[in-house]
Amino acid sequence: MRIGVFICHCGSNIAGTVDCAKVAENARMFPDVVLAQDIMYTCAEPGQAAIEAAIHEHKLDGVVVASCSPRIHEPTFRRTVERAGLNRYMFEMANIREHVSWIGKDKEANTNKATELVQIAVAKLRNDKPLKAKSFDVNKRVLIIGAGVAGIQAALDCAEGGIQVVLVEREATIGGKMAKLDKTFPTVDCSACILGPKMVDVAQHPNITLYAKSEVEDISGYVGNFSIKIRKRATYVDWDKCTGCGACTEKCPAKKTPDAFNELVGPTTAINIAFPQAIPKKAVINPEYCRQLTKGKCGVCAKVCPTGAINYEQQDEVITEEVGCIVAATGYDLMDWTVYEEYGGGRYPDVVTSLQYERLLSASGPTEGHIKRPSDGKEPKNIVFIQCVGSRDRSIGRPYCSGFCCMYTAKQAILTKDHIPDSKSYVFYMDIRANGKIYDEFTRRAMEEYGTEYIRGRVSKIYPDGEGHLIVRGVDTLLGEGVEVKADLVVLAVGVEAAKGSPHLAEKLRISYDSYGFFLESHVKLKPVETNTAGVYLAGVCQGVKDIPASVAQGSAAAAKVLGLFSRDKLENDPQIASVDMKRCVDCGKCIRCCPFGAIKEVEFRGKMYAQVIETVCQGCGLCTSTCPQGAIQLSHATDNQILAEVNTLCQC
Amino acid sequence: MPVLNGKELRIVGFLCNWCSYGGADTAGTARAGQPTDLRIIRVPCSGRIDPLFIVKALLNGADGVLVSGCHPRDCHYAAGNFYARRRLEVLKQFLPVLGIDDRRFEYTWVSASEGQRWQHVVQTFTKRIHDLGPAPKLEDPEPLLKVVDMALTSLRPLGTGQKNKLDELKAAIKAKLPELELVIGWQQGYDAARTVPLFMRTPEDVDKLVWGPFNVNNPAVYLPQYKGKKVGIVVKGCDAKSVVELLQENLINREDVTIFAMPCEGTLDMARVNQELGRYTTIDKVEYDEAGVTITADGKEHRFCMNDYAQGKCYGCTMPTAVISDTLIGTPTEVKPGPYTPPELALLDSMSLDERLAFWRGQMERCIRCYACRNACPMCVCRDYCIAESREPHWISQDDSTRDKLFFQTIHAMHLAGRCTGCGECQRACPVGIPILALRQQIARAVGQLFDGYKSGVDPEAVPPLLGYEVEEKNIHEREWK
Repeated sequence: MRIGVFICHCGSNIAGTVDCAKVAENARMFPDVVLAQDIMYTCAEPGQAAIEAAIHEHKLDGVVVASCSPRIHEPTFRRTVERAGLNRYMFEMANIREHVSWIGKDKEANTNKATELVQIAVAKLRNDKPLKAKSFDVNKRVLIIGAGVAGIQAALDCAEGGIQVVLVEREATIGGKMAKLDKTFPTVDCSACILGPKMVDVAQHPNITLYAKSEVEDISGYVGNFSIKIRKRATYVDWDKCTGCGACTEKCPAKKTPDAFNELVGPTTAINIAFPQAIPKKAVINPEYCRQLTKGKCGVCAKVCPTGAINYEQQDEVITEEVGCIVAATGYDLMDWTVYEEYGGGRYPDVVTSLQYERLLSASGPTEGHIKRPSDGKEPKNIVFIQCVGSRDRSIGRPYCSGFCCMYTAKQAILTKDHIPDSKSYVFYMDIRANGKIYDEFTRRAMEEYGTEYIRGRVSKIYPDGEGHLIVRGVDTLLGEGVEVKADLVVLAVGVEAAKGSPHLAEKLRISYDSYGFFLESHVKLKPVETNTAGVYLAGVCQGVKDIPASVAQGSAAAAKVLGLFSRDKLENDPQIASVDMKRCVDCGKCIRCCPFGAIKEVEFRGKMYAQVIETVCQGCGLCTSTCPQGAIQLSHATDNQILAEVNTLCQC
Repeated sequence: MPVLNGKELRIVGFLCNWCSYGGADTAGTARAGQPTDLRIIRVPCSGRIDPLFIVKALLNGADGVLVSGCHPRDCHYAAGNFYARRRLEVLKQFLPVLGIDDRRFEYTWVSASEGQRWQHVVQTFTKRIHDLGPAPKLEDPEPLLKVVDMALTSLRPLGTGQKNKLDELKAAIKAKLPELELVIGWQQGYDAARTVPLFMRTPEDVDKLVWGPFNVNNPAVYLPQYKGKKVGIVVKGCDAKSVVELLQENLINREDVTIFAMPCEGTLDMARVNQELGRYTTIDKVEYDEAGVTITADGKEHRFCMNDYAQGKCYGCTMPTAVISDTLIGTPTEVKPGPYTPPELALLDSMSLDERLAFWRGQMERCIRCYACRNACPMCVCRDYCIAESREPHWISQDDSTRDKLFFQTIHAMHLAGRCTGCGECQRACPVGIPILALRQQIARAVGQLFDGYKSGVDPEAVPPLLGYEVEEKNIHEREWK
């Protein structure tokens, strides 16, 4: 081989503590190195031009650049050597800035270390082989999991862009949490009024196939060609026949069914339609409470249904859809706040969650928009809001801020005053986080125009006074004294966590998730929509807490990623993937068992079985290579021989 | 390259590209000063790190090896670090048996944002290695030759198996033979005190079958080459475990293999028998009684009581009857598990780290690198493609060096992690009598301790521990960096 080595000064960033000329001089002694230079800035245009010129002049067939982290400039230099006619994988980098010059002051030791890092890069390069990407077709359909506002936005943007969308929603209606809200901050406009039209668009768009009351059961395949199994839950109503007239819900005798849409505030019927603007507006039977399904006698709904849509025999149905990429937009759930004994642990009916309070405020809610407290239906006069219930609380293992509670609490305080002008609202808060557009102004309005009393401090106990009130005892840390408020209703701003079942879905999607179940993006700052699995994108709170504007923005961002991906007819794979040397393979299946991506399959060749890597699925982790005892499966560009060359270079005494 | 003026020690780091390499970058960007000893090798994922890279480094002059990957659950490849955690922990428990201080190897998790943590890890680990000083080289100590003490008490009475129903077994084989290509068993070798493998194709062949304490070979070693053909095999309890492992690894098909089993009462340690017999010209006769064998060689009688001359594995055997069989002749023997450390391992356990290194130096100098250990091993399924003899990949040189010989033994042991049934064929086949079984026994002990007493060769459906993981490992805990 003819290897060229280029040592970057990076101004004084490297040269300050590394003798770059000396490293270059040492590098000339390494096998196959025909040229070693030190350059002021290798990544700058003159530096790259010098590398290109050297490749031509010295007929180099491999290049080592010793400069910053390969995580920064490896792609840059790969393009450089490619421009000069080399294969982009005939290039290695030694990190002598982040790993040498910036962390050590001893110039002699640094120079020696930099030399050795160059030496191992040369050793690896001598084992490099040119690699070529392969291209494959893309199925230009997208699966969107979750039809809250983020998923709806992503679906509509994709559909508008001409992409076929498969939208899967676990609940009977789309709309997610936003559909449950009464009004939205900071404009106090009606949630249903702004979300409703979008929901209708979803139902009517010719490019969108909606599966409500459905869940993703299995995902196989890879970017460009995923195969999805969707379980359509039995609703016991033939939705093709159901017109959403609601006759069944009026006559259903099982009137004590818990109302999940209304956050269990007040009961509903066993057959019901979640809310008037539900999409799809179809009835669903709750099998746990339906008398026909539990006791085998009733059948009232079947009798009253004018279209004969009721089908008590209906079973789950599994449907397969083929798509090219996936957007996860599964949203959130409130954490189980009953761990807080000081707030009554769920024993007091008049301590409600913020989402339950939204339903009490909503005209389509169980109280038809009149605030009535759950215990006795009376109108509350003194309302206490407690913030950060399950947020920023390390004692219960939830150190993160739920992001939007400060804002909706202000909104709920304002709405309370609108509903009950002679009411008084108190807000116990830790800090007010109002950092969005017109957000701080909004919280100030709650305080100044609506007379909400903000008390900076935590609540230590809530207990009933025996006369129908709840005593909220806390501390005002600004005054440094205890406070007690006699409340008629307490609203808890309960912290959010990833939607139930998120880790399970993450495993199906082969993406990572954190200990709260939120999905991990590729890069916190620079790749907030992508995941580490190619072709899987994130939108909304499933990735981390965010409010409606941010969820909508991320929904659109995910759609942009989808449209970008689908703007190409063919995709190229990363050639740094595993491959099987068939003559060495004994078909023991160890690699197949542990591949995290299901990227290895058994194939028959001339009557014998072998392992084979599905090139488009392999992500290049190399777990198989370290699993195969006979070294039959090797990860390109990180082969056993390449890593051994590095180890042997370092350890030879 | 010589380590800088004796100021530095040789520390090799293997870092995953996505988290820890990024964490080291973050530390650099924050100018978080660190000692200069560490040299980082970038790999895609901690799951890519074959524990053998680490042994290779440690045997060849590294004073310390540090592995770092993404935190559990944060793996860029979803599960690579879960697998790595199990393999690296097994390695950590294995190193001391070689005489390598396990403090010289550490693994941890550092995310791309944890620059400070990375600085702390490097500082702490480098200090640890400097406190330990340069690693002793395998060539440094004087060879220490110690002999395994086989004075053992058995978990069960050992015998010669002569009351077994050999004729019934032969009849059963003959009845099945027409459906089978062949049946593997044992026959008398060149004298009555030896057996060799028997491949029965005709009823006359079946008549040659023998049963008793000389049936030392593990016939399972021949099975994979007959994959896809209908074959039979006669097994002792220990041989059956190898059959189970082969089934688990898809190297044979259950429906193709007919297993004939009889309860085993123990087999002789032929190395010690030969030592006692000394040089002789002819075996005049072999007589069996319940407790042992009397061999008359050149007119001289030698009595071998099974309790004194059995193979090491027989003393601790809890499965004398095959765990899996189609035809079982005789009554299964129940043995209660008891406290038992194999004699080879007990010898190593009794030594200090330095003594172990000296021990292996002495033993490896005797190794003639014949690979008989590998060829006799029923779990060495790579056959012609063993990485000990390949260039692609090129793990090991063909030099006659004690390091490479010990490295080969390590390769064999690591490749047997979670697979070795302790049949002891490697050691039995060793022509120079090196107690290499100890290395496999240590691996098996570590696997058992880490993974809820997992024993290989019991359940063909079990997921071998190193091919699986738990998100929360019960017995593996991250060590603190203090």
